[in-house]
Amino acid sequence: MSKHQYAMVMDLNKCLGCQTCTIACKKLWTDRDGTGYMYWNNVETRPGMGYPRQWDRIGGGWKNGQLQPSPLPTMDDYGHAWEFNYEQRLYEGKKKPVMPSPTPTSGVNWDEDVGGMNGEENYYFYLPRICNHCTYPACLEACPRKAIYKRDEDGIVVLDQERCQGYRYCIKACPYKKIYYNEVTGKSEKCIFCYPRLEKGEVNACAAQCPGRLRFVGLLDDPESPVHKLVLVHRAALPLFPEKGTQPNVFYVPPFNPPKRGSYDKSILEDPRLPLDYLIYLFGPEVRDVITRLEAELKSAQRGGRSELLQLLIGRDAETRYRIKPELVQIKL
Amino acid sequence: MRTNRVTLLLVVVLATSTIAGAQAGKAPAGQTLNATSLSATADVLLNDPALWGQVSAHRISLNRTPPLYDTDEPASLEIPVLEVRVARAGGKVLVQMSWADPTHDSAALPEVPNTPPETRFRKLPTEADDRFFDAAAVMFPTKPGAVTPSLQMGDTDDPVQIYYWNAARGPMLMEAAGRGTTRRTGASFAAHAANEKGRWTVAIELPDLPAGTPLAFAIWNGSQKDRDGRKYFSVWQVLQ
Repeated sequence: MSKHQYAMVMDLNKCLGCQTCTIACKKLWTDRDGTGYMYWNNVETRPGMGYPRQWDRIGGGWKNGQLQPSPLPTMDDYGHAWEFNYEQRLYEGKKKPVMPSPTPTSGVNWDEDVGGMNGEENYYFYLPRICNHCTYPACLEACPRKAIYKRDEDGIVVLDQERCQGYRYCIKACPYKKIYYNEVTGKSEKCIFCYPRLEKGEVNACAAQCPGRLRFVGLLDDPESPVHKLVLVHRAALPLFPEKGTQPNVFYVPPFNPPKRGSYDKSILEDPRLPLDYLIYLFGPEVRDVITRLEAELKSAQRGGRSELLQLLIGRDAETRYRIKPELVQIKL
Repeated sequence: MRTNRVTLLLVVVLATSTIAGAQAGKAPAGQTLNATSLSATADVLLNDPALWGQVSAHRISLNRTPPLYDTDEPASLEIPVLEVRVARAGGKVLVQMSWADPTHDSAALPEVPNTPPETRFRKLPTEADDRFFDAAAVMFPTKPGAVTPSLQMGDTDDPVQIYYWNAARGPMLMEAAGRGTTRRTGASFAAHAANEKGRWTVAIELPDLPAGTPLAFAIWNGSQKDRDGRKYFSVWQVLQ
């Protein structure tokens, strides 16, 4: 385990699905040769296929201390890049509509806002995803090159481009499929939690650009940090697929609000808009307790009480949402 | 299925004992590869398959590495035989490796433009993330006259040079000093490869190695996701 651990909390009740985080990350880190299909940060509609599609069902992670098998996702799962025939339409006078080629069949955020049905009501929410910078990274264990390491000072998991030989065992091992292969360089790449920004006291680009102010960043072991408070004090945030065994350090405040249409007097768990089974599938059975706690805080605030948790989740300013102090990783907290 | 398991076990045992037997300090267990001296220049020989007809072929048995990782898919146990020809020409040692591989795993990867990507509107795409390419390599000790290094990419005291050719990425000179230490040096070397009728023939130009130099060979089959230690390999042979 690392001396310290940077972590991120994302409040899914606030995500707009606007993809500003995705673009912030893409422009900063993956606007290079071979990186077109890479989204170190992506936002997917849930329920849905995810990116790469069905990543949550194909394997990887740990079980009883053993790495679990998984195939590599294919470009069919990521979606092939397509081009539009602008030349024909704009310059060659062919009065046909502008069409993509090859015919798109999948892609990032392919099933946006499709969601699922709960009774007769459609429901969906957005799930932003980055590398989870796990405490027990399966990718690290799987790499025969020892190209992946967890930074001792802050727990960020990085992939050494000098050591990587592009074997892709890490991609198979990652249960979140958050490592991507760059065929141009012949090496794999992943989210670096914007460590060069953190080292300068700046928050991650995805968080800095988020209009919904749903991201909280700090050291999990720093009692003053919002992530410490949300995860360990208020216990209002959970990791994704905890049963995969990697112990993620990205946590989610589960979506629960607003209540189902016409159910204003009932408790959320009594008549949830989002089926509880699906939330349990994503976040484990503890999600029930978290929603109960969140609803109690909400009810208390609605009655005029003051909720420290809700004030924190509103996150009005950067000082509330982030605690990035490079000097903290140098000392014992 | 049971037969397969027994065969697999045998291969694992044989491969493991072979590796153990070829550790540092032990005499190579392979055959002597007599190099034919030719008057042609190295460059001409490298690119002229007809000239190789003058060089006698050595049939070298290969081993399959045992499964390395619990999560790995099994590999085919049909182990190809490697045909190796060795020649000296123009002050160089040239090695031609030839083996049957009915699945042809190669691709023409786009050349990376010299201009920085941020100045270009279009960047090169990753065409596929799940393909692996056929490959071959010759390994020999870095230090002249060194004892035979470990077959597992040499040792700390006895590093190795690896002349690695990949069907998509071409020749890459690598070096290593033990398992897991292999690294691309950034240097290249002359090589010529052809795939005809389900058979690879790859000629590689090595430096002027002295007689007695141990040589080891390896080939990878991209179709069965060979890369890394997932490969067919020979024990040390001796160049004469």
